[in-house]
Amino acid sequence: MSNLENNEKILKIFSNIRCLNRDQLPRYLDGRLTDVEKHLVEQHLVDCNLCFDALQVLQQQQYREKYQPLATSMQQYIRNSIKRISQVHKVERYQRQEQKKESFLIYFWVVAAIAISAGVIYLVQQQGKLKSPVSKAIASNADLPAAKSENPPLQAAVVTPVPAEEAPVLKTAQPPATTPAAPAATPPKPVVKTDSVKAAVKPPAAAPVTKDSAKKLPPPPSKPAEAKETTRVAVVHKDTPAVVKKTEDKPAPVKKEKEKEDVPEKKTAEASGTDEFLYKAAQVYHQQGDLNEAISRYKHLAESPGKYGELSRYQLAVCYRSKGQTGKARRMFKEVVRMNGSMKDKAQAALDNL
Amino acid sequence: MLQQLTNLSDKELISRARKLKDQEAEGVLMERYSHLMVAVCLPYLNNGPATTPEEVYPALLQKLSASLRTQTIPKANEWIHYTIRAQQAQTEKNSPFFPSTESREQQQMENKVEKAATNLKEQQLLAATMEEALQKLPAEEQYFLKEFYLHAKSFAELAATKKYTIEKTRQILQQAKQKMASLLMHETYE
Repeated sequence: MSNLENNEKILKIFSNIRCLNRDQLPRYLDGRLTDVEKHLVEQHLVDCNLCFDALQVLQQQQYREKYQPLATSMQQYIRNSIKRISQVHKVERYQRQEQKKESFLIYFWVVAAIAISAGVIYLVQQQGKLKSPVSKAIASNADLPAAKSENPPLQAAVVTPVPAEEAPVLKTAQPPATTPAAPAATPPKPVVKTDSVKAAVKPPAAAPVTKDSAKKLPPPPSKPAEAKETTRVAVVHKDTPAVVKKTEDKPAPVKKEKEKEDVPEKKTAEASGTDEFLYKAAQVYHQQGDLNEAISRYKHLAESPGKYGELSRYQLAVCYRSKGQTGKARRMFKEVVRMNGSMKDKAQAALDNL
Repeated sequence: MLQQLTNLSDKELISRARKLKDQEAEGVLMERYSHLMVAVCLPYLNNGPATTPEEVYPALLQKLSASLRTQTIPKANEWIHYTIRAQQAQTEKNSPFFPSTESREQQQMENKVEKAATNLKEQQLLAATMEEALQKLPAEEQYFLKEFYLHAKSFAELAATKKYTIEKTRQILQQAKQKMASLLMHETYE
């Protein structure tokens, strides 16, 4: 224990003690300090020349009298200067804060203005982009009839592949043409309106009838065998439903049929050309993601006979599927399958995937 | 703010005044030593041209303020004492304050003791080393140090036993302490 105390006392030799404060200085001179306090002061005095010199000076009475008022005024002088500085500091701090606030607000409004202008520019650009394909489509739509009227041979040239494709369909329809009903196969096709957009819509009037007739035909067994054959053909090839109807209703002479055969072929070629254009226009909308417009256009086409009717139904089903209307899509795919056309396999596959 | 600054040590105030250019911290430091400055300068007042209290003290404060920004100050009291003496000598050449080797050695020892304050083992080791260094000092210095620090005798008592003045007693203690610090620092380096 004594060893520990001894250690502490030895370590005191190099202990750091503060200078005498304003209160200790006169008390030390007057001998009003406790022994411990006095010893601490003296420990400090060993090293501190400033404090020792101050004590030496103040031990002289003449300086002692001057000391107190001068020390007070010196302290006041320093405090006043600090006060002034602190006030200046406060003002400066306040000004800095205000400046910061102002600059922050300015930055905010600048950023906001930039963001708004960028947004406006973006919107304008987007609108321009949207308008340009639609206007192109409309322009091409408007140009086509004019072009058709001006250059009918060109139109025919463009359309030629379609009749070539549809030829087998016509050929399949031709067997019943040997029967008296065959010549009437073409008349239901609206001859006058084929070049207009509405022409594509019109055919559905004939198509549903054929569907009904196809459905209704099987029950009556009293119908002739030829009629049965035609109905079978009608079920398989819905593209030529009118043929069935006419065969049932009016048995026409073979000669008239032969005369009329050439005219409908031309008209179907024209109609299929329009259909092709309408189909492509609908596809444009479809590709742009405007499903509603595409659906309405496909719907117009769907009722038209031929390849584009089937393709339109298929695309209609695809549109419904991408819109999430699986019921409608399934129904459409089934119809395509029932049509037994070129898209049957794809429709069946899509149906399986649904 | 001022209240918070008054609780800071000299080192912290000097650091604030230098790094942050905190004039309030500088003012607090000056105020802490103002009474000592006043006392030390008293014999030199009204002794010649520009020696009135209104001239001497503001000039001294300005000098201190200027040197605070440029000089290394390990001990504020030494720096102030040096500046006052330089002002009183009225030397045109402003030689900067630089702590003496003895002062630096002593300060290093003070830092060591402060560092060992929380570790008993380190304290014991340091005390043993200091004991050894104490034994190496001359007999008179050894006597003064032991009587003053171990037996807590005052300047007056020590002066009375050896019939020295208080100033002489203090001087002997100061020299003994400096020698001891020097011995300890050299031992450490060896």
